[in-house]
Amino acid sequence: MIWEVFRQEQAGEYHTHCGNVHAPDREMALLFAQIQHARRKPTNSLWVVPQSEVSAVDADTDGVEFGGTTDKSYRWVSAYNVDVEFAEEIETSDREQRKAEGER
Amino acid sequence: MATNQQSDPDELTDRQQAAVETLLFSLADDEFVLAERYTEWQVRAPTLESDLALSNIAQDELGHARLWYDLLTEFDYTESELLFERDPADFTHAALVELPFADGDWADAIVRSYLYDTAEQLRLAALEDAAYTPIADRIGKIRSEEAYHREHAENWLERLCADPDGRANVQAATDRLFPHALALFEPVDAEHEATIREFGLRSESLADLRERWLSITVPLLDSLGVRPPVSADGSPPELPVAYGRGGEHTEQWPVLHAELTRTYRELDRTNTRTITNDPDHAR
Repeated sequence: MIWEVFRQEQAGEYHTHCGNVHAPDREMALLFAQIQHARRKPTNSLWVVPQSEVSAVDADTDGVEFGGTTDKSYRWVSAYNVDVEFAEEIETSDREQRKAEGER
Repeated sequence: MATNQQSDPDELTDRQQAAVETLLFSLADDEFVLAERYTEWQVRAPTLESDLALSNIAQDELGHARLWYDLLTEFDYTESELLFERDPADFTHAALVELPFADGDWADAIVRSYLYDTAEQLRLAALEDAAYTPIADRIGKIRSEEAYHREHAENWLERLCADPDGRANVQAATDRLFPHALALFEPVDAEHEATIREFGLRSESLADLRERWLSITVPLLDSLGVRPPVSADGSPPELPVAYGRGGEHTEQWPVLHAELTRTYRELDRTNTRTITNDPDHAR
């Protein structure tokens, strides 16, 4: 039986999928996951989930349309032509911000 | 709590030093030889996961052996004298840890680990306030890792015993290993053992530790349908003739020792390289 393993580095963070283990049951899965996925990494918590309990929908499934594939670069400021004065303004503000961060 | 605590190896009396050395050698040799045997399971365990878990346990035990051998270097032993140049007859581990595994006998590895790690837990607890403080200082690190070893062994025991064939294998391993495990509660010799107690190195006698070990292992095995080889009144079996510790080793030990020192000899080494810092002076 395959158990998907999720590792959380610090309290409050998300548990992130990090691989899987073969184990006959939940208890052994937790025991094996500790060695395989947490022995050499800072870990606050581990989850194990039976692979069969995970439901999935994939990009190549008929009728499925995930986002992130159309060109939306017009939303990014770098895509615009701006006049010289405006660019200087941005540069100054950038410089001031870097300076302020350096002094923190 | 011991009142005559001592942290400086040079301040020990000769008798105390001999007792500390005897204790350290038995602790270190048990861990070292057990780890050596466990590593034979690498790439041979029933599944990849069990392989990694046992290898990890072996690595822990090697680390613990290093902590104990390292304290012996305070008494002017070199690493080669402690291991590679040492006469195999001078090792004082219990023969439990030197016995070879029959091909594919996973139940043996699990029963051995269960019997050993249960004894280890009791033994370490009794050393927590050792009058020679460098010993006491290292107990916490070791105990934190031993909990996983016991959980691993107990979980496996339960699962092996849930199946008639598995239980038969656990029974056979228990019959074979149980008398050998009793050697963990044998002194290396009576005189040093008396000093270990008087000086306040170990807070419990070996006999008391053995009783407590029996009161844990016998009911647990019983509950799994495995009959430990104790008589009706609860008294344990006789020690095997070759039980290690202060007595003789089995004929398997010189073979294993030759194997683990083979590379050292083939490379014509006369000493070893230290690859890690002394944990006490690492900062």
